[in-house]
Order: sequence, then C-alpha cells, then structure tokens
Amino acid sequence: MSCVDCHCITCSDEAVRMLVVEADASGLARCETPDGERSDVMTDLVGDVAPGDALLVHAGTALARAA
Amino acid sequence: MKYVDEFRDAELGRVLSSEIVATVEPGRHYKIMEVCGGHTHTIYKYGVDDLLPENVELVHGPGCPVCVIPMGRVDDGIAIARREEVILTCFGDMMRVPGGSGTFLEAKAEGADIRMVYSPLDALRIARENPEREVVFFAVGFETTAPSTALTLKRAKQDGVPNFSVVSNHVTIVPPLRALLESPDLRLDGFIGPGHVSTVVGARPFEFIPADYGRPIVVAGFEPLDLLQSVYMVLRQLAEGRCEVENQYSRVVPYDGNPAALAVLQEVFELRPHFEWRGLGFISHSGLKLSEAYADFDAELRFGAPGVRVADPKACQCGEVLKGVIKPWECKVFGTACTPERPIGTCMVSSEGACAAYYNYGRFARSKELV
Repeated sequence: MSCVDCHCITCSDEAVRMLVVEADASGLARCETPDGERSDVMTDLVGDVAPGDALLVHAGTALARAA
Repeated sequence: MKYVDEFRDAELGRVLSSEIVATVEPGRHYKIMEVCGGHTHTIYKYGVDDLLPENVELVHGPGCPVCVIPMGRVDDGIAIARREEVILTCFGDMMRVPGGSGTFLEAKAEGADIRMVYSPLDALRIARENPEREVVFFAVGFETTAPSTALTLKRAKQDGVPNFSVVSNHVTIVPPLRALLESPDLRLDGFIGPGHVSTVVGARPFEFIPADYGRPIVVAGFEPLDLLQSVYMVLRQLAEGRCEVENQYSRVVPYDGNPAALAVLQEVFELRPHFEWRGLGFISHSGLKLSEAYADFDAELRFGAPGVRVADPKACQCGEVLKGVIKPWECKVFGTACTPERPIGTCMVSSEGACAAYYNYGRFARSKELV
C-alpha cells in the first residue's frame, strides 16, 4: 500500500541507495538498504559490482552507482 | 550519510532561499512545474515551498505513474486477475486505484489472486514457484521503471519461464510534457526535470523544451536542497535571459543517459500509436507495449484484455491538477468525497500524487485558510 512518510520504492521516480553485500555472475547482487533490509537487485545496467559498492536501486534494478 | 545529509542542511537551505529572493523580480509571478511525483512528495514532506517567496509558485506535473493510469486499464487488470489460473502481481500503490469495476484490492477481497510485489523480479520468482499457474505482472511506470520490467522479461525469455507475462502500462515522459506545453490553458515559466527518469534517458531528450517552447528546465535530485537549488537555477536562467537544459543532479544523471538501459528498452518494448492518460486523454507515442520479439510474454495478447475505455468520474478534476491548472485543494471533492482512504481520483491514491501529498502533509488545512 502507499505509505505516508516514505515513498513506495517501486512507484514514481524514487531510487533507494543500497550497498552490495554479495554479487554473482548472473547480473544479480544481494543488496542492503541503510535500514538493513536485503533484496536481490539486477545489476545489468551498472556493470560489474563488488561488495561495498553503493547503488541507486529502483524496482529491483540498479539504475546508477551512488557515490 | 554521504550525499544525503549535506542535501538536507538547514543553514544551506536558508542561504539558497535568500539567493532566490534576491534573484526574483518583485511584482512578477513565477510558475515552475516539477514534473515528477517524487519531487512533489519531497516538496511537501520538507516544506520546500515555505522557503520560496510568495511570487514563486510550484505547480505539480503528471509524473506520478499511478496517477495517470486510466480506469479502463485497471479494469483490464481485474478481468485478467479474475481468471482462475492467474496470479496477478503489481506494485503496492496500484491496489487502491479505482477502475470502472472497482479496485485490485476489492477484486482480491472477492477472491482474485492479486499479490503485491516490490519488483518485477519478485513476480518472476512467483512464476517459477508456481509453474501450474499463470503469473502476470501489471507493469506501471516511466522510463525509470521500464528497464526493470525489460530486464525481467529478458530473464524470463532466456530461462524459458512460459507462465510469466506482463501487462505493460509503461509510459514515456517526453510526449506528455509536449502535450502540456501545447495546452492553451497552461502558463509556465520553467520546469524542474525528473531526476531518476533522467538516469535512464539522460537530460538531452528535454532539449526540445528550451528549443521549441522557450522554457528553461533543470534536471533535479530528490533531497530538499536539490530542489531548492534547482528552483534557483531556473530563476537564474530567467533573470539572465537564458533558456537551456541544466543538470543539477549530475552526481547521478549522465547527460546522454544510460546506454545499457536504453538498449534493453529498445529490445523489449515498442511505442504504442496512442496511449490514454488519466485526465490528459490520448497522447500519441506515449505508451510502451512489448515488442514483436517478446509478444509471447504480452498478457494482453495471451488473455485478450477487454480494452474498454471508461470515462473519468465527473466530479474528479485530476486532469486539471495534473496539468497544474488548479491546486489539489481547489478540486470540488478534495478532502471531502475524495480522501486517501476512499480516493475518487488517482492523484489521491499514491503518496507521490499531488492531492495525497497535500492531504498527508497538512496542506489541506493551511491552503484552505489562504482562500
């Protein structure tokens, strides 16, 4: 459902900063939000990633690298 | 947190605010449209507009993908979801969007298997876990979200997941902006451009705004100071007689976009001749359907969606709100018949919708006092 105090991460133009925890060769990486929530993220659009890399993630896809 | 805290610094905000006051011409009224629903949300969450002079007005644009879904498309989703073999998956905000025959939430209560997911990849996982069922992803979103659907479809095709398909309601940002600029009842001085759409498409596609319509646009990030600085950059352009595309969000947005994202969009999708936008009507070449190469995964073809157009409710003024012609609180049903709990119009459904943003952050009460 929509949330009042935060964006729905999959809606609109929002992207969430996540850190790579573990990457595999298939273009998927296990990533973690600043709140410690983990999920699988497709990394096809940002090239190879390694643990510790910061990504901007929208709807399960890393759109860009975050500084 | 790096690149977050420094963009929420109150002192810097006050400095920018005084720069803005020094830049505007007294007596001139400025209307600047923030295109993106994420920006609308930030503006009201942090009170960015309170830091602007009275003669600088922010107008909320059509950039909430949930808010522009027409009722007939919701009905198509419900018709597919009611099939016994189908599990319909969608993002959370879609659940309460009213169609002509109710909402996804109501259809779910009546027995349809509708599940909320956080990404299309989750929908594909459900398909793998339920090979005896048909799993349909009801996709919404601009170019920010479309790559995620496209990459998921590539995986489904590559791995041979035959029970997965997509209803594509993906839309593109440039055609509605052009339609808005052609609208005779709209007067805008400049635009705040969508930041994360631009990580995909880049800032270059917005060059038509200064070139063809003589309006400045600044692509902006999503922290409060990003927005304040972007407003300042638009006003600077106006003060200096310049008119161009500027990229305030260059820490994330490459001017030419993300080539890998653009390539996957090109492969998986093609433009529809027309697509209906709630409140804005049909706009040419503004919607994406699955390309010929992915037609086997097109749920509209697989299940024969009814495709019946349903007129918006008469009381709803979402169209005028989306065009920035009226403020949300000027709508006849805002806060009375239409609330986030029981929305009539889609702008009240999503937290990114202009009406919901006004309602949730107390703008209702304040704005009414100003009448």
